[in-house]
Amino acid sequence: MGRYILKRLLYMILVFFLLTFVLFCLYQMMPENRAYTDAKGAMAAYKHLPKEQQEAKFQELYLQYQRQYGTDTDNKVVLYLRWLGLYPFYDGHRSGIFTGDFGYSYEHAAPVVQVVGPHIRNSMLIGLFTEIAVLGITIPLGIKCAVKKGQRFDRSVQFLSLIGFSTPSFIIYILFIVFFCSILHLFPVSGMKTPGSTLTGFANVLDVLWHIALPTICLVFGSLASITRICRASMIDALSLDCIRTARAKGLKEKAVVYSHAWRNAIIPMVAIIVGGFFGIISGAMILETMFGFKGMGLLFISSVRTADYDMIMFLEVIYTFIGLFSNLVIDLTYGIVDPRVRISK
Amino acid sequence: MEKKKKENVFRKLARWTVRGLMGPKYEEKWFGKKEHEEKAVKYKNGVPDDSELIVSPARQIFQRFMERKFAVIAVFVVIAMFLIVFIGPYFMPKYYDAFTETTQVDLPPTMSFMAVPNELKNDIKSIDSYGSFSVGLSNAGKVYMWGVTRLGASGMDASHMPEEMSTKKIAFVAAGQDHCIAIAEDGTYYGWGSNRFGQIARTPETEANPNLELIPEEVENGQLDASQIKKVTCGYQASAILMKDGTLYIWGNKQTYANLDKFIGRKNIVDIDFTLNNVVGIDTKQTTVVTGVKGLYNMVRPNITAKATKISEYLNGRKITEIRTTSKNLCLLLDDGSICFAGDFEKDVVDIPPLEEGEKFVDIESGTYHYSGLTNKGNVYSFGGDHYYQSKVPSSVHNNAAKIYAGSFQSYAVDSNSKLIDKWGLKGYLFGTDGAGADIFERTIAGGKVTMTVGAIAVIIEIIIGVSIGLLSGYFGGWLDILLMRIAEVFSSIPLYPFMLILSSLLTQVALTQNQRLYMIMVILGVLGWPGFAYITRAQILVARESEYVTAAQAMGVKETRIAFKHILPNIISVILVNMTLSFAASMQTETSLSFLGFGVNYPQPSWGNMLTRASNATAAINFWWQWLFTSAILVFTTVCINTIGDTLRDVMDPKSSNDK
Repeated sequence: MGRYILKRLLYMILVFFLLTFVLFCLYQMMPENRAYTDAKGAMAAYKHLPKEQQEAKFQELYLQYQRQYGTDTDNKVVLYLRWLGLYPFYDGHRSGIFTGDFGYSYEHAAPVVQVVGPHIRNSMLIGLFTEIAVLGITIPLGIKCAVKKGQRFDRSVQFLSLIGFSTPSFIIYILFIVFFCSILHLFPVSGMKTPGSTLTGFANVLDVLWHIALPTICLVFGSLASITRICRASMIDALSLDCIRTARAKGLKEKAVVYSHAWRNAIIPMVAIIVGGFFGIISGAMILETMFGFKGMGLLFISSVRTADYDMIMFLEVIYTFIGLFSNLVIDLTYGIVDPRVRISK
Repeated sequence: MEKKKKENVFRKLARWTVRGLMGPKYEEKWFGKKEHEEKAVKYKNGVPDDSELIVSPARQIFQRFMERKFAVIAVFVVIAMFLIVFIGPYFMPKYYDAFTETTQVDLPPTMSFMAVPNELKNDIKSIDSYGSFSVGLSNAGKVYMWGVTRLGASGMDASHMPEEMSTKKIAFVAAGQDHCIAIAEDGTYYGWGSNRFGQIARTPETEANPNLELIPEEVENGQLDASQIKKVTCGYQASAILMKDGTLYIWGNKQTYANLDKFIGRKNIVDIDFTLNNVVGIDTKQTTVVTGVKGLYNMVRPNITAKATKISEYLNGRKITEIRTTSKNLCLLLDDGSICFAGDFEKDVVDIPPLEEGEKFVDIESGTYHYSGLTNKGNVYSFGGDHYYQSKVPSSVHNNAAKIYAGSFQSYAVDSNSKLIDKWGLKGYLFGTDGAGADIFERTIAGGKVTMTVGAIAVIIEIIIGVSIGLLSGYFGGWLDILLMRIAEVFSSIPLYPFMLILSSLLTQVALTQNQRLYMIMVILGVLGWPGFAYITRAQILVARESEYVTAAQAMGVKETRIAFKHILPNIISVILVNMTLSFAASMQTETSLSFLGFGVNYPQPSWGNMLTRASNATAAINFWWQWLFTSAILVFTTVCINTIGDTLRDVMDPKSSNDK
């Protein structure tokens, strides 16, 4: 077990470096040049100098900023290692993600770690509610459909879930916004709390809940259909196993057959969805957060891409990649717990 | 033995369709006996011959597929969708992506642009329109309105006429972009619609705005003598009244009409009209176009394509009697019945057709881009802009038109009894218009072409990469398998949306044409999506290699390549087919989501995703419901159908499922 985890971790680290290097190189293609912009900005103080001296001063400043930001070379590997904090800057100090320096967001004028904090919290807030609600609805629904396969209930759920599955999530959000905000005026369209309010204690909690209600409902409905379909399919597969026939032949109660024998088999393909879903919470919901102006990770990412906030995007990419790889590891380990046949010690 | 007559392929297809869509009952009715019943009674040497009862897997899958009514309908819908989307653009030759039309912005679905009310049809005195609605006046003095009168997000309705108007006999009426003015026979002035730029009345707000020319008091107080009025006309955000003695009253937004100042208080005007940005007129000398701006419209041409000459040279003593304008150019009617043009013409114009011998123009009317001219023989010719086919005159008006009216994109011909003969031009919009004034129906078809192409090509790329890697991996195994599968794992652990967003924002840094960008999106989608196909192919190959029939084939000494293509490939193809359908729908969804966020296909190129961008705003979503409802309905309907096909295919290919049914 320990060896397996170690092996996986090593592999994870390799892939992590590979992916971040690719992304890093991609981002180097952006025509953004911070040293140049800053040097130009600093030149304002030297306006009084004659032209030749200005030019010389600019070159000097430019080089100084390039050295400060570590961009005084074109070697991608050196740049990447500097970003990681493994290669010294011009003045010999090392500063990168391994030394705890994730970069500085120019758009938010703050270290990226500080900016990301509240966004992760917001995303996790609605994500957690959503994930619990989605699993709470879809698993019983999927099981019921599988048990009543081919009956009217199953067929109507199938039909609805097919439509839901085929609808891009943003269309579902549009429908909900139009219905709940524009027609019924039940929920606010955007924001985390009533603007300018100074509510405290329970009233504040209620206010926040009122604001996050619609995004959560949208998110839940956006992911109901696909998970119901997967749950139903894996449950149908599980119910057609020989062990189920044996269990029925033994005279076990239908409840015991479905919830104990079949469900334990059906949950194996579901593991990836459930675990991945919980990890996905951190990444946030990009489209939803953009539409609601909800300050979560997704919106942060999109606004960073739009404003070319270089350090921010790289940090978010690191988080995304890390979450993706780590959740894969957790999924594999969970398989070992859920399915006794899977031996992960080899 | 009686040889069975083989059924024609088309007949067979039709038979299956009927069975699938309408049931075996109709199949028997229309095609005679069922196929399988015929087969059941065959005997060979006294022994029942069941060799024809055993059907190949492909045939069995096909048969079972055709039994699913919904799936068959879905196949037809998807095929129809493909045809509409790929052939449709050939039927809209006037369509182009970047089309904008300021007077047609945000109009709801309607077909009422030429719906002249029945009471008016036999008693027309005048018809005028500038934007999306038309206003008509009957000889009895009643005012009628049709077209789209509810304008903009504010919900302002231009059809709310002042109530006391119904008691008066109206003599003149004119319509602007969002306002109307009318003069009763006793001189009373009425104005309704938008007053944002002081088009209709004096209010404290308009008085405070220095950019507006206020309505003259004698007009507003009803002191004009209606019998002395020559012409009442409206521009985009301005209005003008011209008296027979040459006195001009003009008011409205001076920012739209920069030279409006030059016309205030003029008393020597013979005719006046508005282009999009200028007021133009003819003074009593009748030899030049009065604009108040030096050098503007001083060159004329006898037809649209001819070379322009100086107006004084061209006239050569003739007088200008009438001036009519479209947005960019103007048309002058001379006293000898000929016409000439000034100003620039855009693309897509129809030139004046050759007139008959002795025929000359007696009246010219103009819309936003087109002109309609009436001749002394009662013929009507339309020329100028033709985007909405407003220059296509129906044959019914031949030789019997007595008067013509034109406005925005429509023309109306009226006979000598004031009876409407015919009308031509823009009828309306089936799906409404978008924020740029383009027809959403056309954009939906063009956008469907983009979305479906992106989806299809992305899937094809996915299949090509995925299947070949899966084949290599599964067939050769060993270290190659491990390596390829690790690569696939890396690709599948790339977070799709963040990565797509970064790549797409990188694409904006590179100067790409619209189509190149589209190809890049297809390639990116394909390159990120292939691992699924690789896993499936590899798994199928591994299963097939272990199976008995392959072992048997190997034992019989069948060549490896033959095994691969004849025994293993068919098994893979069916699975790939299922995944291809589902992936196609998924790719379409990814593309629309990206375009919706603004990171996929960009405006002006339409896609089913970026056409919905405006709906992310709650107010816009409810006010301009037609801008997202139809497109998203079609998108959902198409993906539902594609997924239905995929689901059904998977069901009918699964040998286990047949026992349960």
